[in-house]
Amino acid sequence: MKNVILLTIDTLRKDVLGCYGNKDSLTPFLDSVMDKCIVFDNHQSVGPYTQASFPGILTSSYFLEYGNPQKLSANRTLVSEVVKKGGFATAGFHSNPYLCEFFGWNRGWDQFYDSMQDQVTDMVPYIAGDMINKKASDWMGNYTKQPDYKPFFLWAHYMDVHEPYVPDQGYIDKIDTSIKLTKDEMFTMFKEVLLPRDVSDPAKIELLRKLYCAHVIQVDEYVKEFFGNLETSGLLDNTVVIITTDHGDEFGDHASLSHDGKMYSELVNVPLIIHDPDLKESKRVDTVVSGVDVSPTIANLFGLDIPDNFHGQPLLPLENYKSDGCFGEAIGKLAHKVQPTDRPVHFYQEDNLRITHRIEDDKWEMYDISKDPKERDNIIESSKKSEDMKNKLKSKINWYDKGDSPVINLINF
Amino acid sequence: MSEKMKIRNPEKIKEKLAKSIEIVKEAYKKYDLKDMAVAYTGGKDSTLMLYIIAEACKEMGKELPQQFCIDEGDVFDEIIDFIKEMDIKYGTTTEYIHNSDVSQLVAGKLGAPVKVSELNDRNQKEIARLDYDKDEFPYEPESYVGNHLMKTVSVNMYIDDKKIKAFFEGIRWDEQGARESETYFSPREGNEFNLAHDRICPILHFTEREVWEAHFYADIPINILYQQGYRSLGAKVTTKKLTDVPAWLQDMENTIERGGRRQDKEGVMGRLRKLGYM
Repeated sequence: MKNVILLTIDTLRKDVLGCYGNKDSLTPFLDSVMDKCIVFDNHQSVGPYTQASFPGILTSSYFLEYGNPQKLSANRTLVSEVVKKGGFATAGFHSNPYLCEFFGWNRGWDQFYDSMQDQVTDMVPYIAGDMINKKASDWMGNYTKQPDYKPFFLWAHYMDVHEPYVPDQGYIDKIDTSIKLTKDEMFTMFKEVLLPRDVSDPAKIELLRKLYCAHVIQVDEYVKEFFGNLETSGLLDNTVVIITTDHGDEFGDHASLSHDGKMYSELVNVPLIIHDPDLKESKRVDTVVSGVDVSPTIANLFGLDIPDNFHGQPLLPLENYKSDGCFGEAIGKLAHKVQPTDRPVHFYQEDNLRITHRIEDDKWEMYDISKDPKERDNIIESSKKSEDMKNKLKSKINWYDKGDSPVINLINF
Repeated sequence: MSEKMKIRNPEKIKEKLAKSIEIVKEAYKKYDLKDMAVAYTGGKDSTLMLYIIAEACKEMGKELPQQFCIDEGDVFDEIIDFIKEMDIKYGTTTEYIHNSDVSQLVAGKLGAPVKVSELNDRNQKEIARLDYDKDEFPYEPESYVGNHLMKTVSVNMYIDDKKIKAFFEGIRWDEQGARESETYFSPREGNEFNLAHDRICPILHFTEREVWEAHFYADIPINILYQQGYRSLGAKVTTKKLTDVPAWLQDMENTIERGGRRQDKEGVMGRLRKLGYM
C-alpha cells in the first residue's frame, strides 16, 4: 500500500499545462514527469468556484444537496475522516479561506493548517506555495521518522495562481519581457478591470492572462520543489500523487473574467493527473470523469469502504470505472459579489455533450464539445438529444421538480 | 517553575542569544536611543526579546529604549501583572497605548456595535482603506476591523506621536507563513496613514521550542498563563487553552501554536475580500 497525496492547485486552467497541449512551456517540471502519469482529458469539476467544487473533491458530494452550503454539513463525510477512521495518518495544508476551520473543513485531519491565523497582504492574500511545501514536508519528515509507520494521506493546496495576479517580475519576464508593470499597477488592474469584470479592452484581458500565466510558472516550481522533497526523503517511490484543481479561470472566453457561476469548459473542464511511480508509461484517459471521483479513489487506495454518501467511484483501477455522466451545480452569480436574485445553475455532461441550465432566466444551453470546444454554438434547439439530456440533468437535481430553488445567501454565513 | 524543560542543545541556544544581542547592538549604532522603542506584549517572545535587549544594554552600558504595550481593550490581568513585574526587573516603564476614540463610544463594552459614522476622521479613513462597507462593527480586538483599529492604528499613532524611527518586535520566522520574508531590520514604507519606520526583529531565528529553551537556559521569568497551558496569548475573549500541560511541554512540532485562538467571521470575510470575493 502506498501513501496518497492530493495536490490541488486553485484556479488552474487546463490549457496552461504542457500535457494538455500548451506550447509555451509554462509547466516544464510537470511536463517532465509525464511518463509516470495518467492524464485525464475529460475531467469535470462539479462547480466553477471553490465553494461549489471542493465538496466534490473532498466529500464526493454536490454543493447544494445538503441545504444551506455555508458551512460544511455534518451529513457530508470528508475523505480525511474516512482515511483517519481507517487507521491512517492524515494532514492538510492550505490557504483558501473557504476551506478553513470556520467553515468546518478541519474534520478528520490529524494536522490541519488553514493559515487563517497568519497575516497576509493585499497583493498576496494567501500563504504562498513554498510555505505550504515547507509545512507539508516538515509534517511528512516528522511522521515518517517513526519506525514501521503506516501509509499516510496528505492534502496540499496552492493558492498562487488565484487573483489578484501580482506575480514577481522574474516570472513575468519568462512570459513577456516587454511587460513592465509595478505591483501597484498590477493591483490596480485587479481592482479596476478584474473585479468589475470589464472586458471592453482585449489588450487588458491579454495582459491579465499573461500575469496569470506568470503565476503558473511559479506554481510549477512549487510542484517541482514538492516532488524534490518527496524524492529526497525517499517517499516518491511509494506515494501516489493526485494533482487537480477546483476550477479554471476565465479571460474573456465567455464575455467575463475570473470564475463566476457559469459552467463552461474554461471553468469546469479541468486538469486531473495521477502520478504513480509504478506506471510503466504515460496513459491518457478520455472517459468523462468527475471531481466526486477523487475521494472514492483515495479511500480505495487505502483499501477502505466507500461511504454511502459518496457519489463518485474510484478512478483506479481504470478498467473498473463505469462512466455514467457528470453533474455539477453552483449559484449562478455573474459578478464578484453574489446578488440576492442569483439562483442555481447546473450542468450535466455525457461523452461529448454538455447541457447547462440557469434557473434565474430558465436558460438552457447545449454544446457538442468535440466539434465546438469553445462552446459558441448552442444546439439546444437543433439537437435531437436535447430532451433526453434535459431529463438526465433534471433527474440529478432532487429538488428540481418542486419548482422552488433554494435561496442561498452566500454573504451572510 | 514546577515542571522544567530539557534543553536539547545548550550551545545552540547560547549562540542564538549571542546573535540576537549583536542585532540589538547594531540597532543602537543605526538609531538614536530616543528614536527607538520596544513593542512589549508580556508574551514569551517579547519577554525573551526584552531580556536580550537588557543584556545588550548591560554590555554597552546603555539605557533601554522606551517601551509600549498595545491595550486593545481585553487584556488578561495576568499579563498586566507580569508586565509590572518585568518593569521592576528591568527598570522600564511600559506605556499602554490605546485607540480611545473607538473604545469610548461603547464604554469599553466587548462585542458592542461601534457606529463607523461616530468615529473620528482618522479612524473612518482607516476603515475605508479596509474596504469595509458596513455601518458598524463589533468592538472586539481580534475582529477584522477591531484588530486594525485597536492594534495597527494604535501603533501608528504612537509612532507618529513619538517620532519613532524603529521599534523592536518579538516575531519569529517559524511563527507564521507571512513572516518568512522578514529580515532583522525590516523597513516599513510610509503612507498617508503612518510614518515610514523600521522594525527590528532580533529573535527571528528562534523557533518556538528554542524560545522556551532560552527561557530555561537564561532563567527568564515566565508568565503564569503559559504554566496553565496557554500556548499563545491574544485578547482574553478569543484565547483559549486546549490543555493543562505547560506550553513548553506541549507537542510544539505537531500541533498549531495559535490553535487556541478563535477564527472569527470578520477575519474570514477579510481574507475572502482580498481574494476578490464578497
